[in-house]
Amino acid sequence: MALLEAKNVTKSFGGLIAVNNVSLTVERGSIVSVIGPNGAGKTTFFNVLTGIYKPDHGSIIFDGASIAGQRPDQITKQGIARTFQNIRLFNNMTAIENVLVGMHARLNAKMWQIIFQSPSVRVEEPRARARARELLKFVGLEGRYDELAKNLPYGDQRRLEIARALATEPKLILLDEPTAGMNPQETLEATRLIQRLRDELGLTVILIEHDMRVVMTISERISVLDYGEKIAEGKPEEIRANARVVEAYLGRGAAVAD
Amino acid sequence: MSTTSLPNSPFAALNRGPLAYIALTAYVVVTSALMLMNTRTSLGTDVLFVLFLLGFLLLYRANVANGYKLALGAIMLIGVVPYFGTMNAYYIELAIQAGIFVALALGLNVVVGFAGLLDLGYVAFFAVGAYLWGIFSTDQISQISPGASPVSPQWFYLFMALGLFVGAFFGVLLGLPVLRLRGDYLAIVTLGLGEVIRVLAVNLDRPINITNGSQGIKSIARPPLPDFLRALFPGLDDPQLYQLFIYALALLVVGITILTVFRLKNSRIGRAWEAIREDETAAVAMGVPLVRMKLMAFAVGASFAGVMGVLFAAKQQFINPPTFDLIRSIGILAMVILGGMGSIPGVILGGVLVTLLDLQILPRIATELGALKRQGIVIPDWFDPAQYQRALFGLLLIIMMIFRPEGILPDQRRREEAHATEAQEMPEEAGAGEVKPA
Amino acid sequence: MTLAGVFGPLGQVFVFVVGSAIVLSVITVLVAFLLRGTRTNVDLVQATLTILPQVIVDGLVRGFLFATIALGYTMVYGVLEFINFAHGEIFMVGAFSGAALGTVLAASGILNSIPPLLFVLIAVIVGMVVSGTLAMTIERVAYRPLRNAPRLVPLISAIGVSLLLQDGMRLIANVTGLGFNARFPTPNFGPPLQLAQIPTADGRTIPLILDVRALIFIAAATLMLIGLNYLVNATKMGTAIRAVAQDRPTASLMGINVNQIIALTFLIGGALGGAAGVLFGVRVGTVNPYIGFLPGLKAFTAAVLGGIGNIPGAMVGGIVLGFLEAFVASYLSLLTGGAFSGASYADIVAFAILILILIFRPSGLLGEAVAQKV
Repeated sequence: MALLEAKNVTKSFGGLIAVNNVSLTVERGSIVSVIGPNGAGKTTFFNVLTGIYKPDHGSIIFDGASIAGQRPDQITKQGIARTFQNIRLFNNMTAIENVLVGMHARLNAKMWQIIFQSPSVRVEEPRARARARELLKFVGLEGRYDELAKNLPYGDQRRLEIARALATEPKLILLDEPTAGMNPQETLEATRLIQRLRDELGLTVILIEHDMRVVMTISERISVLDYGEKIAEGKPEEIRANARVVEAYLGRGAAVAD
Repeated sequence: MSTTSLPNSPFAALNRGPLAYIALTAYVVVTSALMLMNTRTSLGTDVLFVLFLLGFLLLYRANVANGYKLALGAIMLIGVVPYFGTMNAYYIELAIQAGIFVALALGLNVVVGFAGLLDLGYVAFFAVGAYLWGIFSTDQISQISPGASPVSPQWFYLFMALGLFVGAFFGVLLGLPVLRLRGDYLAIVTLGLGEVIRVLAVNLDRPINITNGSQGIKSIARPPLPDFLRALFPGLDDPQLYQLFIYALALLVVGITILTVFRLKNSRIGRAWEAIREDETAAVAMGVPLVRMKLMAFAVGASFAGVMGVLFAAKQQFINPPTFDLIRSIGILAMVILGGMGSIPGVILGGVLVTLLDLQILPRIATELGALKRQGIVIPDWFDPAQYQRALFGLLLIIMMIFRPEGILPDQRRREEAHATEAQEMPEEAGAGEVKPA
Repeated sequence: MTLAGVFGPLGQVFVFVVGSAIVLSVITVLVAFLLRGTRTNVDLVQATLTILPQVIVDGLVRGFLFATIALGYTMVYGVLEFINFAHGEIFMVGAFSGAALGTVLAASGILNSIPPLLFVLIAVIVGMVVSGTLAMTIERVAYRPLRNAPRLVPLISAIGVSLLLQDGMRLIANVTGLGFNARFPTPNFGPPLQLAQIPTADGRTIPLILDVRALIFIAAATLMLIGLNYLVNATKMGTAIRAVAQDRPTASLMGINVNQIIALTFLIGGALGGAAGVLFGVRVGTVNPYIGFLPGLKAFTAAVLGGIGNIPGAMVGGIVLGFLEAFVASYLSLLTGGAFSGASYADIVAFAILILILIFRPSGLLGEAVAQKV
C-alpha cells in the first residue's frame, strides 16, 4: 500500500481555487517531486497535507489512516515532517534547541515530572540531547550546536531545518524548495543530503523544487501543477517530453528548449 | 549556571581568581555591616539597603564557585535580611513586598517571556488567590452560605496549595476562549478580562454578597505563628515574629518558584513555549500542540499568582478591589520587561528594582522633598513623585522598548558545549553517530 | 465613485443605526413582557417603554463617541497592523485642551458672550489640532523606531506612552491649576429641547426631552464621519492612504511617501479622537486624566466588532456597541429588580462582545476573512 494517498484535494480562498482536485500517490521509500510555475499551488498543497490548511474537499490517507482536517501537530506526530519555502527556524534558539523542539512529540516528560526532576526525565533529557547532536552531525552541522539559528549561514539554516524535521521521527518528509537560493556547490550537497534521507534513513521524500537539474536527478516520479490543477505525472523522462508541461512553463507556442 | 565575567570593565581585574572571592566577600560584609549599624529609617539607610541588595547582582555576575555563591547568598537572605528586619520593620516589609512581586513577575514571565503571550490582566489571578483566602478565612463566608463559619487559620497552608489549583483553573478558564487569538488581540482581551474580574470584585456584593464590594474584606486570618519561632527568638515580640514568619514564607515560595521555572525552561515544555514565541506556524508543524502549550503557560503563570494571592491576603489582612487594578498588572509587566523577557535572573532583578522604585525610592524622594519644604525651600505642591507611578512605569516601558528591548539582564542561552563533556561520559547507545531510521 | 464612495458606506452605517435600535428595542420590550409577572409594584412593560426614547438617544451618543474614537484605532491598524494603545489618551488630551480653552475664555469673561455653537466649533478645532499633533509626535518618537521590531515591542511601547500621557496630563493639570478633576466650562446651552409628550396608561404624560449637547454631539460626529469618508474615498490623499494600507512596499515603489502617509494617518486619527474628547467634555462637564482608558478600550472593541482596518466598520461597530451598552446600562437594573447594577455591568458587556466576536467572527461585522500567509 502506498504511504500517502491524496485524492481529489481542493482548497480555495474566497473565490480563488488554489488547489483544484489534485490527487497524488506516493509509494514508500520513493522520492517524488512536485513542480510547477510560481503560484501553481504547490506550497498550498503542502500546507493542506501538513494540516496548516484544511482541505475543502478530498481525502488524504497517510500510512493507512485519514489525516485530512487534522491539526498540524497531530499530523506531525503521525509521521509527516516538513521544511518551509522561506526558512522558518526558531531564530533566537540555538541549533540544538531547534532540533530538540522537533522532538517535542517524541518526548514524554510531564509537567510534574519536570518540576520534580523525576528519574525518567533525568534519563530522557540527556538522551534527547545526544540524539539531537547525532542529527546535527548527520546533516553536517557538527560543532555548531550552540550557534543561534539566525547566526548560521544560509545553507546551514536549510540543513538545520532538515535536522529539525528529522527530529520529529517522520516517515515522510516534505521539502519545500530545499535548494532555493543556493549556489551550484551548495545545491549539489543538498541533493546528496536528500538522497541520504532516503538511502540511509529509509524516509519517503516529497519535494517542491524549481531547479530542474535537482528534480531530474533525484526524483522517481514527478507531478506537475499549474493553476492549482495537476496537469501531468510520470517519470522524469516522461515529464521532460510532455508538451503540456513545457507549455505551462514557457507559455503557449514556445518551442521545446533545454 | 554558567559564570559570566565582566569584560573590559575596570572591575575585570577584581573578578579573577582569588581576588574575586575576596572582593565579593568584602563587599557583602561591608554593606551588611554598614546597614546593620544604621537601622533608623532614613535616606542613608535606604542607600545602604540598595547597596546591600546590589550585592546579589554582583554575586550573580561574580567569577566564583557556584557553591560559594549559594552559601553567601543564603547568609544574606536567611541571616542578614531577617536580622536587620528585627531592628527595622520597614525594610523587611520592603523585602517581603519585593519577594511577592518577584514571584508574580516570574509567573508572568512564563506567559510573556517564555511563551510570548502578552497578558495584561495577570493580576486577576492574584486577586482570585487573595479573595479565596479572604472569603474563607473570614465571616464573609457566612454571607455566601448562611451558617458557614470561617475555616481555622491552620488551614492556611492547604489554601496555599488550593490557590495553586484555583489559579491554574482560572488561568485555563480565561485562557481557553482567547488563546487562539493573535498576539496583540490577546493583549487587549486579557486586559478586558482583568477589568471584568475587578468589576466583578466591586459588584458581587449583590445579589449575593460574595466579595463585599468596594469595601473589601477585613480581618483576614494569618496562619498561626509556629511555636518554634517563639522558642527560637524569645527576645522578639509577636509583630516582629510575624514579619519574620511571613518573610520566611515569601522566601520559600520565591525559592520554589525559581526552581520550578528554571526546570520548566530547560525542558521540552519550556522549549515548546519558546518555539511558539519564535514562530507559531513552525512550532505547530514540528508537532507542538499550540493551544495545549499556551494553556499550560497560562495555567502555570496563573497558579503562581494564585499562591501569592493567598499569602498576600494573609500578610495584608485586608483586601479590596483597587489592590488589583490594571496598573498593578502593568507594574508586573514592567518588572518582566525591565529585567529581560524570558530571563529568570533578569526578571528577579526587575521585580526587586521596580518594587524598590515604587515603594521605596519614589516615596523617599517625596519625604525628602517634604523635609526641604519645611525648611523653607519652595517646592510646588504639585510635585509629588509618589503620585506619578504610571509615568514611571510608562517611561520604563518606552525606554526599554526603544533602547534595550532584551532587558537589563538578557536571557542567556544554555551552552551545549558545557554539557557535552558530561554527556560524553555517559555510556552512549549502540551505533552512536549513526542515525537510525525512525 | 465620488458620491457613491462617500455616501455608500454612510448608508450602511445608517442601516445599522436604525436596525440595531429596532432590534434591541424589540428584544427589551419582549423580555419586559415575559418578566412582567415577576414584579407587582411596577408595570415593567410600561416602565420599559417610557424610558425607551431616552435610552435610544443615550445609545446614539455613546455610539458616536465610540465610533469617532474607533476610527483612530482602525485607520492606524489599517496601515500598520498595530494597535495604538495610547489612542484613548489622545482622546483625553483633546478633552483637556477643550477644558483649558473653556477655562481661559471663562476667566476672561467672554465665554458667555459668544454663541454656544461657535464655542463648540472653536473648541473642537483646538482639540483636533492638539490631539492630531500629539498623535503624530508620538508616532515619530515612540513607534517609528520600532516599526520593524517584533509585534509586541511597539505594542508595549504604546502601553508605556498611554501611561506616560495619563500622568503627564495629570502633572500639567496640576501645574496649570486645572486640577485633577478639571471643570469643562461651556456657555449656557439653554434648556433641553422638548420633542414630544408621551401619554402613559394612567393619563399622565412624560415629556420626551433631548439635551442640546447630545444633539450637538450627534450632529458633529455625523459631520466628521461624512468628512472622513470624503477624505478617504474621494481624494488623492485618501487613495494614497488606502494604497499604503493595502501593500506598503508596493505603495512605496509607486512613489508614495509611506512615512508621510503613516504620519498623516496618525494626524487624522488623532484629530478625530481629539474632537471626540472635546465633544465628550462639553457633554459631561468635567474631565480627568484617566477618562481616556475605558472609552479607548471600548472604541477598540467597536473597531474589532466592525472589522478592524475597515472605516465604515468602525462606525458601525461603535454604534452597535453604543446601543448595546445603553440598553444594558438602563434596563439591567430595571429588569432584574435591582439585583445587578446596570451601569457597572455595562462595562463588562463591551469585553464580552469583544471576546465573542474574536472567537466566532474575528473579521468583524463588515470585515472579510484574510488567509494566513505561510
